Amino acid sequence: MALDAVDLTLEEGEVLAVVGDNGAGKSTLIKALTGAIPRTSGTIQFDGKDAQIDSPTDAKAAGIETVYQDLALVNEISITQNVFLGREILRDDWLGRIFGVLDFKKMDREIRDLFTKLDIRITDIYRDAQAFSGGQRQAVALSKTVMFGKRIAILDEPTAALGVRESQMAMDLVRSLKDHGLSVIMITHNMQHVLNYCDRVMVLRLGKLTAVRKVSEVDGDTLVGLITGTLEGDAKDG
Amino acid sequence: MADAQNSSTAVSNPGATSRTFDRLIHEFMQIWQVVAALALIYLVFFVLSPPFRSFDTLLSIFGQASILAVLACGTTVVLISGGLDLSVGSIFAVVGVSVGILLAEVNLPVWLAVLGGLGIGAGLGALNGIVQVATGVPAFIVTLGGLTAYKGLAEILASGRDLSRFPDGFQSLGAGYLVPMAIMFAAAILTGLFLTRTRLGSRAFAIGGNEEVARLAGVPVKRSRIYYYMLGGTLAALAAIMEVAKLNFAMPARGQSYELFAIAAVVIGGTSLFGGRGGVGKTLIGMLIMQTITVGLSYMGVGTSYQRIAIGIIIIAAVYWDVWRRSAR
Repeated sequence: MALDAVDLTLEEGEVLAVVGDNGAGKSTLIKALTGAIPRTSGTIQFDGKDAQIDSPTDAKAAGIETVYQDLALVNEISITQNVFLGREILRDDWLGRIFGVLDFKKMDREIRDLFTKLDIRITDIYRDAQAFSGGQRQAVALSKTVMFGKRIAILDEPTAALGVRESQMAMDLVRSLKDHGLSVIMITHNMQHVLNYCDRVMVLRLGKLTAVRKVSEVDGDTLVGLITGTLEGDAKDG
Repeated sequence: MADAQNSSTAVSNPGATSRTFDRLIHEFMQIWQVVAALALIYLVFFVLSPPFRSFDTLLSIFGQASILAVLACGTTVVLISGGLDLSVGSIFAVVGVSVGILLAEVNLPVWLAVLGGLGIGAGLGALNGIVQVATGVPAFIVTLGGLTAYKGLAEILASGRDLSRFPDGFQSLGAGYLVPMAIMFAAAILTGLFLTRTRLGSRAFAIGGNEEVARLAGVPVKRSRIYYYMLGGTLAALAAIMEVAKLNFAMPARGQSYELFAIAAVVIGGTSLFGGRGGVGKTLIGMLIMQTITVGLSYMGVGTSYQRIAIGIIIIAAVYWDVWRRSAR
């Protein structure tokens, strides 16, 4: 899926929804923003300055943390290892420096603090991720954005595989990301989530930006109209 | 999430002792079935065959397992990371011949020859990894190529040479049972610590479990893979050094099919062929299971050909057990 001239602005501390039909380019947009796939043109600016984001590592360094749909956790490794994957804490001695020996004690402490802070009730942090429910897994994935995301959390359909009650929990967690100082970009198919949890919404259609609206100024029918193309968009930044 | 099942766990005390204890329980739960299988097999031969009951038999099981077990430690790491190295048997041959040349013709001191051998193994292993990540050709094909190419290299190096009668100091590396057993345990413990306690080692599970998630999480997947193959090559080299020391000669035919025996031991131990799960302890037990069956059957007068058939059935049964257990979840 290709994207063409899509502009995206994210305000400090807001939750921006990205909606659009299947194949509209939502996931492509996210991956382009985080350097997971190469961009052919366009720029990314941070606080008004150009930012060089060409790989997932660059994005993380810039304080952008992403939760990819279906690609959030490795089933075969523990919750601890999943949270710290790619950013493991090493022992602060020669073992850590020379052999890269992990500091389990410290990671253990940080994870338990994090889960307490976010009210995530998982104590069994050495069990494989596979052993947990969809809701618990998503909570763990979202918790990573609080642990490491200094500025922006990007979420690709955080409730896609969840039941009603679990979705509710996940969305409450999304809302609390704001309280932890994060701005959020969230892809979703759920209009209710857009209307209840987001500040602004941008609509993509066939790889193009159709409309950007304040959530307080739209209703579900308008959004559906914009997504399906029965309503004309204006593609002006709202 | 505030249901009965979780509210009870919320009061548990997350202290350092419970963490260690949790991990021990966790590790034991993963391995007890293969330990039980090994004990059972040992017991069966113990009952059926009087000569099997001696302590010497037990020693010889460990002793015979040691060389292949060292090689299989490397195979374990590579398989956990979702890779595959069919060429380690040929790396074994190249290193055996090379160390033979370094000792018998170059007359290097023993420690330098050993170091040289380990370096060659590391280099050939790394080459497998580099070719894979650079070309994108699957591990099976690249290392199948390595299997024949390295074998050819070993033959070229060895042709027209008499590689035998090495210094005593070198021979002691493979003599008797105790030194090889000590090397085996050292290699297994160090590899185990690498996998469970270090950043690079622990990432093998993540890469083998889901390479794309690991990449998106910021793990340098390609570079890590090269290191795993390098480690596999190094341990194959160590095994080769042990065998050359034991036999007191080197020839390029050694190491043939060792990669398959190693994979068999890894699989019998319960490490997944598909990556993401496993451990060196399991491999050690898998190797002991294979050796116990081989030794036990020969004590009962069963010929080598029948032993091979038995091992073949065990391999399939072990994987079937794994598949069945997974689907039963």
